[in-house]
Amino acid sequence: MSIGDTIQRRVMPRTIVGLSTVRAPGRVAASVRRARGGRATVRLFVAFDDPYSAVALLGLRERLARRPADLVVEAVVKRGIKDDPAVAAKRAHAVTDARRLALRDQRMLVRQAPLVARDVAFLATWTAALPQAGGRRVAFAAAALEHLWFASGGAVTPGPFRALWHEHAGGAEPPAAHPGVAAAEATMRRRGLYDTPIATVHGQWFFAHERQAQIEHRLDELGWGAAA
Amino acid sequence: MTLAIDFFFSFRSPYSYLAAPRAFALADDHDVEVAFRGVIPMAMRGQSVPLAKRLHTLRDTKREAQRLGMPFGRVHDPLGDGATRCLLVAEHAVDMGRERDFVLAASRAIWAEAVDVATDAGLRGVCERAGLDWSACAAALTDPALQARVDADTAALAALGHWGVPVLVLDGELYWGQDRIEDLERVLTRQLA
Repeated sequence: MSIGDTIQRRVMPRTIVGLSTVRAPGRVAASVRRARGGRATVRLFVAFDDPYSAVALLGLRERLARRPADLVVEAVVKRGIKDDPAVAAKRAHAVTDARRLALRDQRMLVRQAPLVARDVAFLATWTAALPQAGGRRVAFAAAALEHLWFASGGAVTPGPFRALWHEHAGGAEPPAAHPGVAAAEATMRRRGLYDTPIATVHGQWFFAHERQAQIEHRLDELGWGAAA
Repeated sequence: MTLAIDFFFSFRSPYSYLAAPRAFALADDHDVEVAFRGVIPMAMRGQSVPLAKRLHTLRDTKREAQRLGMPFGRVHDPLGDGATRCLLVAEHAVDMGRERDFVLAASRAIWAEAVDVATDAGLRGVCERAGLDWSACAAALTDPALQARVDADTAALAALGHWGVPVLVLDGELYWGQDRIEDLERVLTRQLA
């Protein structure tokens, strides 16, 4: 076996795995942050055509409510691996699979078929336009995803979501475009976060529909445990 | 009535390694038969995997392995000959009724013991640990009938409209991912109650 082969097959994977287990720097940074009264931040990237995003946001919101942790939501439209030949099959399977995951939390996902990203892109725009402060953005995104996937199954029209928007945004009309969506997509690309729903948790990232217990474990590890 | 579960598996998939003990154990806990279906790795079927996904898979597998109490990290990537040889020996192991022993031994060797299964020395140790005769395993490496079975299983996964592994199939329902076995178990418990 050549040196190049050895590096690629043995050294690289072992190094990547080994580095992923280094916990000390994260713990130190977290303890400094906690000493200053800081809370944990879980940043969740969601897409409205993604049923996994609905499972992730609703589940995480509940789990994090018991902790000194802030859930921050970034909405995107473009997602997935570039030129993935299996994208249509994956998105069809995601609906079935998300239904099973939701059942673990005693939720029933009622929509039966995948959504087209452009049909729900307006929801990403509206989400991006809301401030993170005060939890208004999270609250709107959660309400919209819940309505979209757990309470409706037909064609998507802005009407029902407009009422939700006004509930969280007040009297202002929802915008037609917002730079926050492109900014969130750029952040995902830059950091190699290739699909939704990804949650970044102080230096590590997780697919948040299926790794919620691990996200909680990460927060425990960093000292942001759940209230007794 | 005994139910049949197809277990699509790749020796190059660390998630398949994590799934294998629990997938085979379904037959211990329920009235089911688990049929091993070894498939050729995606990267050997012309499907590229982005670097970001490969890195994430290793990190995530480590976390999941810790949660499951399984060793992981001393890796020797079997892409190419190593994966092919394991697939062929696995088919021979099916004929011998020892596929569970072989798959568990080989996947652990690859993902936790850095064994190079592309070499005779590496593969022989795994075969013997699984209770298989090395000379018969060596003959399996050039058996076109076994290769045809591997090709058929790989085609069967594609025909199901699926792409990755591990996948378990019960009554046409697909469960993709080592962390979806619990959903399948829930269905089995309900069906067999």
